[in-house]
Amino acid sequence: MSRKKLATVWLGGCSGCHMSLLDIDERILEVAKLADIVKCPVVDGKELPEVDITLVEGAVTSDEHLEEILHIRKQSKILVALGDCAVMTNVTGMRNYFELDDCLNTAYKTAISNDGQGEMPASPFVMHLNQKVVPLQEVVHVDHVIPGCPPDANTIFYVLSELLNNRIPDLSDVKKLHYG
Amino acid sequence: MTTITIQVNGKQLATEPDKTILEVCRANDIEILTMCHLKGVMDVGACRLCLVEIEGINKLLSACTTKVAANMVIRTDTERIKKYQRITTELFFAERNHVCSVCVANGKCELQQLGYKVGMDHIRYPFLYPKCELDSSHAWYVIDHNRCIMCTRCVRVCNEVEGAHNWDVMNRGTQVRVISDFNSPWGESVTCTSCGKCVHACPTGAIWPKAIVQGQLEKKPGIINELVEKRKMKL
Repeated sequence: MSRKKLATVWLGGCSGCHMSLLDIDERILEVAKLADIVKCPVVDGKELPEVDITLVEGAVTSDEHLEEILHIRKQSKILVALGDCAVMTNVTGMRNYFELDDCLNTAYKTAISNDGQGEMPASPFVMHLNQKVVPLQEVVHVDHVIPGCPPDANTIFYVLSELLNNRIPDLSDVKKLHYG
Repeated sequence: MTTITIQVNGKQLATEPDKTILEVCRANDIEILTMCHLKGVMDVGACRLCLVEIEGINKLLSACTTKVAANMVIRTDTERIKKYQRITTELFFAERNHVCSVCVANGKCELQQLGYKVGMDHIRYPFLYPKCELDSSHAWYVIDHNRCIMCTRCVRVCNEVEGAHNWDVMNRGTQVRVISDFNSPWGESVTCTSCGKCVHACPTGAIWPKAIVQGQLEKKPGIINELVEKRKMKL
């Protein structure tokens, strides 16, 4: 069996899903036997090459994320939404209950902890947040999902090993499903 | 006592008439999913999870509000029913804020359990993100309408078991809300006895005690029926 190329990407999330990915512990060696991890937020910042499997953490919150996820979809044979934010927006999507400007003002200006000296970041290099946060499935086709906040390490490993061995993972069972 | 025979999933069952399909199935270890059913209070058929197929009837009927009849042929496990259960569950999640990770009921929630049971791995419908209030005016309890699924278990338990009728329902559609008295803050209620039955009746993190922190919520919906049964005893 030829070695597969595996990538993991971090969009609008808290990195908890990647921490959970690391929680597969020594089983990462089994993954390494079958795949090369070609991109990962803790490794480097290269542009995503063509890959077999991409795990995407986080929801689409900004113009940058949207561009990134469209590129990821183009480059990946299998796209896996990793974690509740990617699957159903979760905590990231809780700002959808409010206006974007209200959220930004509260975070950067009017919060008490800013002592009245807060400023809105205005650098052209800072990404622009979209009005609403959307899950991956709303902008691209998602092949598999791993819900959970964070997803269980065993579930992540199960999905990975199934995909790396050319099988289709099935989560429709109480023990593997998990949200929150 | 008369006995009738019905057939559930190809199995013959002998039962008394005047029972609901749900009661008979539960008594015979046939699983039927429910959210709005709470043993001890009246059934209203609100959640539509207990839908069953009955031979000769085109519509799916709710098991909790349909009485058994002689020679009824019932199916609870068809693909059609499973499909609707999954749709109903997803719509519950999409309707309001059901972000498990920041919910007081995380891990102890009947809605979360339901999601696992129907194998819901993602939600196919757009989220509505309605503006819902959180009322913490009561001295001991909080009602967070974001988590409410309108099962009305609190309404029924307050009316039928406590006899206070603090809770009721206002509006329709996405505007529907559980209200205290005539839509006033819970803490100002003149009918609420602070008995806490609604807290235990609530299947999600919509009603909870202030003394609880996340993940430590322990609800005992079983105490409602226990209370009802004990009251029937002639001591």
